[in-house]
Parts: sequence; structure tokens; C-alpha cells
Amino acid sequence: MSASGDSESVDQPRPQHPGDDHATFSALLEDSAEDLYEHAPCGYLSTLLDGTIAKINTTLLDWLGYDHGDLVGRRTFSDLLTVGGRLYHETHFGPLLRMQGEVSGIALELKALDGTRLPVLVTSTVKTGGDGRPLLIRTTVFDARDRRAYETELLRARKEAELEREELKRLNATLQQTLLPPTLVNVPGLDVAAHYHVASTDMVGGDFYDLFPLSAGTWGLFLGDVCGKGAAAAAVTSLARYTLRAAAVYDPDPAAVLGNLNTVLHHEYNGHDPRFCTVVFGLLTPEGDRGGFRITLASGGHPPALLLRADGSADHVHTPGGQLMGVLSDAHIATATVHLAAGDTLLLHTDGLTEAHPDGTRGGGRYGDEALLDFVRALAPTTASDTVAAIRDLLDTFGTGVDDDTAVLAINVPRPTSEEQP
Amino acid sequence: MCRLSTRSRNHVTVSGRAGGPVVMLAHGFGCDQHMWRLVVPLLERDFTVVLFDHVGAGHSDPSAWSPERHSTLDGYTEDVLEICRELALGPVTFVGHSVSAMMGVLAAAREPQAFTGLVLLAPSPCFVDDPATGYRGGFSAEDIDELLESLDANYLGWSGAMAPVIMGNPERPELGEELTNSFCRADPDIARVFARVTFLSDNREDLAEVGVPTLVAQCSADAIAPPEVGAFVRTRIPGSRLVTLKATGHCPQLAAPEETAAAITDFVRAGR
Amino acid sequence: MTQLAIRTRTTPAGPVVELTGELDYDSSAQVRALFPELVLRDGSQLVVDLTGVTFCDSSGITALLAARNHALAARAGISLVAVPDHISRIFQMVGLDQVFTTHPTAQAAEAAWTPPKTRP
Repeated sequence: MSASGDSESVDQPRPQHPGDDHATFSALLEDSAEDLYEHAPCGYLSTLLDGTIAKINTTLLDWLGYDHGDLVGRRTFSDLLTVGGRLYHETHFGPLLRMQGEVSGIALELKALDGTRLPVLVTSTVKTGGDGRPLLIRTTVFDARDRRAYETELLRARKEAELEREELKRLNATLQQTLLPPTLVNVPGLDVAAHYHVASTDMVGGDFYDLFPLSAGTWGLFLGDVCGKGAAAAAVTSLARYTLRAAAVYDPDPAAVLGNLNTVLHHEYNGHDPRFCTVVFGLLTPEGDRGGFRITLASGGHPPALLLRADGSADHVHTPGGQLMGVLSDAHIATATVHLAAGDTLLLHTDGLTEAHPDGTRGGGRYGDEALLDFVRALAPTTASDTVAAIRDLLDTFGTGVDDDTAVLAINVPRPTSEEQP
Repeated sequence: MCRLSTRSRNHVTVSGRAGGPVVMLAHGFGCDQHMWRLVVPLLERDFTVVLFDHVGAGHSDPSAWSPERHSTLDGYTEDVLEICRELALGPVTFVGHSVSAMMGVLAAAREPQAFTGLVLLAPSPCFVDDPATGYRGGFSAEDIDELLESLDANYLGWSGAMAPVIMGNPERPELGEELTNSFCRADPDIARVFARVTFLSDNREDLAEVGVPTLVAQCSADAIAPPEVGAFVRTRIPGSRLVTLKATGHCPQLAAPEETAAAITDFVRAGR
Repeated sequence: MTQLAIRTRTTPAGPVVELTGELDYDSSAQVRALFPELVLRDGSQLVVDLTGVTFCDSSGITALLAARNHALAARAGISLVAVPDHISRIFQMVGLDQVFTTHPTAQAAEAAWTPPKTRP
């Protein structure tokens, strides 16, 4: 665009009379009232309440390629919009304008005479008469080509980010699944159930468990918690899980299994980036004539297992002094052996459960070991699946108060189905 | 699972003359029950007036929105019927604007005993042209795609550079609250689905199922529901009557509240 | 954002690190980044003062273990000072109560330190 008229040319040397500047300046201002309307750097448009164009400035006519006579009294503002824009105008813009008296910064596209589209930002106000009745609608139209390109890019980037986030969630879920057994194996004479509660879908948690056959009718099981979250923690989880399974085949003595795990983790992560886990490992042996199972538990710094007896009592299976795995070259491992008779249930859990905030906020207190003991006392006697179902419900009531992943694994020796059976 | 009361789910308000004939006003795609604010005072003198927001609009409970239920008009229709049941005000005259007109058609076909009559304000049973039958709804499928793009653009360009990007941020809902326009408050994702429901539904076959007295009220110049669409609706609904309002545009309840209220009032009175 | 303030000072026995605030996943990374920068001589003592620590999760424990590894690598000692109840509870659970030397105050930790014998 070129500036027209001498008065707008400011680069020429001018006589330095005081007052001349002022005169030139005010002449420029007075002269431009009508000119400003017609050649403003934005489009102006006045319409009747039904949208019929009553007045339109030259800038907007130039943008659109129309003559004054093509539009004034003949077309509505809505006619200048693309079809999508027209629908938007009728369903959002128009009603809002009627209700609020003004609408600002709405992105629309105008259709020029030659069919090209002009992205614009539109602001409208309703001009009312002295009696408050609406008379006409005044509209300003800003060229938004650059801005729209930028916004389109933002929208595209946002959609892409959403897709990537979904993909990340899928990857996390997949990775998580590989760290857990797809289904628990069937142990003859034992009812087993497990649950993994994911606290965040954005990060892989570090809890793990497994139950698997060992030689001569014995079974191994473990449940543990790797410090931290994310890919680095998942690597430790994977290492811990496979080390435990391999070590158990080599020597199923629970203390020996954990001793091996400690050595492997300690060798791998002894430095400025220590990684550790707490874990409880159990060796299950059927008790033959006596019925039920004997289980020897070894704990490496893990919260104690809970034993829910057939007689309705419940208590911790203490393994005091066991130390976490991977930090000390000679971690102490504590063991305990209990007999599981018909109707007894053993529950292993990670501290995501006891460290949860029952009131749903980080500021509030934590659930705690004592509360969990009271909770399972109320459940006993019970079964593995009922215990796990009750804990799932409990976690549900905590809602967002569960800020860490939680794993639970329960095993139960079912009562004989009828009195005739031993 | 506790079921949410439809009253809070749909932000239902009941006003007007207690014991009078019940008129239920259903807003269309775009804004919320404020659309009726100019006609409500004119109806309250004679009628019990029921207003509500569709789920996802206005002050409805956004948590009640379900991608399955609310991706068809049937889901919205079920919402309407549930409101009627819970209020238990007896049969109502249902006034449906734009897309809500078709919710009225579906609801009356399903539970005729719940309705004394229907007022279909600027209705369209199908916005998309159907060359196979010669039906002209006024829009092509591409036009509708373009509307969906316009919606996206405007949730960006709503009020200042970045505000609507924040609005669409599920982690920071409190930021959207004050930026969203109070009358056209809508979650962008919900609005996008509702736009599809509104503009891609085809309810032409359902019109014949309406067995209650029906008034078709169309506007003189409506860019969304052209005159031939109103005529189509009238011929397909048995015994229905067509009036063409002097009001122009797609929202007669805002453009010409007196005329709109008078049409509703005459219809309700005639039905008694 | 989690709030953790870290202050370090040096005594004849060795560096003292004072932590105030929450020692969690985010803030423990800050703490761990600090240790390699501390000068630890053979026989000196690293003191970590936990007086002001209001929250500590397993990431915080990891940071303390990193501190221990760092001290041991330099053949220095490590002492924790004013271990809050909530941390000693975790220590007991995971068996770390036998691993860290603890003192009620930084002064007590310094007093308990014996300088290494000057080598010939």
C-alpha cells in the first residue's frame, strides 16, 4: 500500500517554524477521519440486525474484490462466510451477539469474489438507540492469515502430542505387562489371586510378582518393589524378576535366592546411581499327609506378609532385620516358615497400599500397617480372590490418594468342599 | 455406582405458573438454555416452564457425558425422557430448537404419552443433501467438515492468543472456566462430537412416527434450515401444521421473542 | 513443584549437607547431583543433616544411598543427623537402620569423628 497525499509524507525536510509541525499534524488528523474509515488497516462493516450489509469500507472491499454496489443492501455478512463459517455464525456468533451485545476475536473465513479464502478475526458490537433497542451491528475484520497459519500449526502440534502421549501410555502398559505374569499358574490345592494397581499411566511402576513351579512339586513365588519409576526402574524390575526365577531353579532355598539377587543387583548398580528393591520370596511345599502347604518366606527389607487364619485371626508374618536388595554387599536376609492349613490365606503386598492417603490428598495421613492389619482381620477367614477383591475396593475408595503402584498377591488353601473329604 | 440426578446432570430449572400447562424448552447446538431468556418471561405468565442444558453445554455436569451415549441423538433423547420422568410434571409441550427438534420427534415417537405436543423451531431432519431422493438439506458433507474445522479454529481463537489451547487442557480445567464464554461454554471435544451428531444425523424416516399434535415453526430466511426443509417436515409428520415466522436467521427466540412466544402460546392453548 | 532447600558448609571433619523440605522423586535428583561435587578426603566424614526434611520417599532413600556410596568410594565415613521418625520408620522396614550411623545433632556428629592418623 502506498501513502497518498503530501501531508502523510514525513521524511521530507520541513521548515523549522514552531507551530508548523502542529498545523501539519492536526491537518493530518482532521483529514483522516473519513479516510481512516475507508482505508484503515482493518475491515469495517455495518449491518442491519438481519445481517444485511449497510456500510462497508474500502479496505474490506479490496480484500474481497467486490464493489460497493455488489454488497450494500444486497448481501448479508453471513453470505461472505464459507459454509462452515456460516453454520458457526448462525449457531454461535449470532446468538452470542444477541445475548451479550458484543462478540470479540472470533476466527472465521471470508470468501473473496475470486473464490479465495481469507482467514480473519471478527469482532462485532450491537449499536443501540437511545431507548436501548438494537439498531445495527458494527463489525471489525482483521486479516489473520499469519496468525491462522500459526494456530493451525499449534492445533496440529497438539494433535500430534496427544497421539504421542497415547502411544507412550500404550508402551508403558505393554512394558508393565511384560513385567507381570499374564495369568497366574494353577497350583493344585491352592487358590491364588493377584492384582496390580497402576497409579500413573505416564510412568511404568516398579512393582512385580510371580508364581511358578519348581522341582518336585514345590512352587516359588515372589512379590517386590523396585525403587523409582520409569524406564530405569523397569530395567531393574526385569533384572530382578529373571534373576529370582533363575536363582530359584539353581537353589530354591529362599535365603539363597535373595542372596543371589542381592549380589546381582549390587554388582550392577553399585555406584552413583544406586538401584534397589525390596522383595519377599516364598517357597511353597505341599505337606503331604498333613494337608495344606508349608511356606518359607525370605524378606529383603519388604513389608511383612499377612496371614489370615481359618479361625478368623490375622497377623503379620514378621521377618525382622531383612535388608533391601542391591545396596549392601552382604545384605541380611530374614526368613520365617509357616504352615498354611485349610482356610488359611497368605497376603503379600507392596507399600503403595499402606503408604496411600485414604483422604485422597498428599497432605493427609497415610493408611499404615496397623489399618491394613485391622482391615484383613475383618476379612478373615476368607479366600484369595475375596481378599484381593476387598483390597481392590479399598484402593478404589482411596482414589487419587494412591500415589504409588501397588501389587498384591494372595494364596489360600481352600477348605474341603464337603465334610467327607480329608 | 450412584446415578446422578437428571436435575443436576442437565442443570434443569423449573419456573412460571405452577399447575399451568408444562412447556419444556430445549436449546440447540451452540449455546445453552440462555438462548430462551427472552421468551421465558413471556411464557412464565401462563405456563410452567422447564429449561435445561444438554450434557456438555452450559452448566450441565460434564462428567455425565459419555462418548457412547452422546454420539447419537438417541442418547440425548433418552436424557430428555429421563428429565420428564424425574420431574413427573405430566405430559409436556416440548419446544425443540434446531437439533433438539429432532430429539422431540424421537422422544414423542418412543413415549407419546409423555407429550401433549411438539413445537419444532427451525427444524431440520437432515442437513446433508441426498441426491438419491432429491432431498435438499442445504449442505454437502464437505460443508459439515468445514464446520468442524471452524469449531477447532475458534476454540483456538476464542479470546486471546493461547487461552483456548489451555481450555482444552484436561489437566488444568480451572483455567478454562474463567475464559470460556458463559453462554456458549462447551468442552471442545464434546462440542466436536455434538456437531457431528447435529449435522450428520438423518431423521427423515422418524418423522412419520410422531403421533402427537405438532407445530413446525420456521423462519423467513434461515441459512441453516431453508424453507423447503420446513415444508418437508410438515408433509412427513401426520397432521402437523406449519407456520413461517417473520423472524429471520436460525434463532427466532432471540431475533423475535414476542412472535416466537406467541406461536408457542397459541399452540399450547389450542391443544387444551 | 516440590520444595527442597540444600545448604552445604565445611567443617574440619568434612562437608555438612543440610536438607530442608521434601525429598522426593523430583528433588532427590538435585541432591544426587550435588555429591560428586563435594570434596571428600580419605578418613573425612560426610554429614547429612535431615532436621528439616518433611517428606522422604524411596527416591530420597536412594539419594542417601548414593551419598553413602560416594563417601565409601572416597574412603570417607557418612553420618546422618536428626533422622525424623518417618524416615527411621522406613529405615527399619528396609533394614537400613544398621547401615547408617546416626547422631542427634551435627555437633554430636562432628564430636564423634576421629581424625585419621597422619601418615608417615
